[in-house]
Amino acid sequence: MSERDRENIRRHIETCPACAAEVRDLERLLESADSMGQNMKAALAGIDWDAQAEKIVSAVWNEKVRPQVEPRRERVWLFGPRLKPVLAGLLLGIMVGAAAMFITYRSGVLEKPPAEAFFASNEFLGRIDQEIARRETLDYLEKSQYVLLELAQTQTESGDCRLTEAAARETRELLGKKRYLNPHLEKARMSNAKAICDQIELLFYELAQVSENLTPAQCRGIQNMIEEKNILLKIKLLKKELQESEV
Amino acid sequence: MEDKRTTPNEDISTLLKKAGEGDRHAFRDIVSLHQQKVFLLAYSILRNREDALDVVQETFMRLYQKLDTYEKDRNFQAWLLQIAKNLSIDYYRKHYSRRRGMETDKSIEELPLAAEDHASNPESSELRHVISRNLERLGERQRLIFVMKHFNGLEYREIAQVLGISVGTVKSLHFKAVRNLKHWLSPQLGMQP
Repeated sequence: MSERDRENIRRHIETCPACAAEVRDLERLLESADSMGQNMKAALAGIDWDAQAEKIVSAVWNEKVRPQVEPRRERVWLFGPRLKPVLAGLLLGIMVGAAAMFITYRSGVLEKPPAEAFFASNEFLGRIDQEIARRETLDYLEKSQYVLLELAQTQTESGDCRLTEAAARETRELLGKKRYLNPHLEKARMSNAKAICDQIELLFYELAQVSENLTPAQCRGIQNMIEEKNILLKIKLLKKELQESEV
Repeated sequence: MEDKRTTPNEDISTLLKKAGEGDRHAFRDIVSLHQQKVFLLAYSILRNREDALDVVQETFMRLYQKLDTYEKDRNFQAWLLQIAKNLSIDYYRKHYSRRRGMETDKSIEELPLAAEDHASNPESSELRHVISRNLERLGERQRLIFVMKHFNGLEYREIAQVLGISVGTVKSLHFKAVRNLKHWLSPQLGMQP
């Protein structure tokens, strides 16, 4: 309210008996209320406020509504009563987990399926065996042919028949190789090849029985055996057959 | 504990800080300075002396718990009275729903006002008596504002802070309270209706 409005109201009240009476009543009411407040305060003096204040402060301090010193840190024991529910929960979790693992393990879910890299059918394995036998046989035939040809061509004009030291060593090695080759030939069901290899083995065995210096008679005997049994021809034919049957 | 007695004129912020650090005497000074105002506010709501004293104690307990949250720029008295008002209302709702009928008649006459009034004007005494009886008829906010204004001597601004409402609303509610009281008192005291 502006000062001008106040002045206007003041003037009106001075000239208006009704409004003046209204203002007097209000002033009387408010003065009484104010004095009532004063009287109340005076009446409140009847209360021992010092004692009241001390009572309040004591209550606050005694009840420790607010910790004054650093709060005491409660020790947390691993097996203390406060942690029992936690431990119980943990134990239960371990038991449930172990049971679940056991069931899962028993069901075979965790077992790894055989890796595809190691999977091979019987047919495939058979073909591998056959290929190994084929190559080993070819190698055996190659070397045998070389030794037998050398033996066939060593005859001199004087009739001497000598087997070189290298050929003699090769003969011994081929005898050993034949023992290694036998199971492969049987496994691969190469009976024809095995029969020829057996004949060659027999020849080498004969050779091994005699000394390095063969007598002309012994030499001719072996050469005759090679010719009669057509060993070199058989070797040639078998080699060709094996080379053509390459897997 | 070390004696840290404070002076009465010590700044309220300093007292609060000391109290927060555990200074019992500082807290006692705060209680001494404000307990009567808290009492009057609680009494204006509860209309029972012992209950009002309980609320005073509870108010200072709550204050002590909230010391750390006090903001320096805030009006401390308004903040404290706001706590007191909330606790008084809680107390009223908790305890008075059962015994309201028993207590209403006792109202403000429980206070030893009569003894003080003997020396004063009988007409004024009668007016005050009638006012006290008719305060009950006011709405809660009107009564609170009237009591805080005239009994506690608070300014409109402080009342607004306590109640969390605007100063304009406080003035408006105060005017309505005065108008209602005048209307009710007019027949009894020969005022203009």
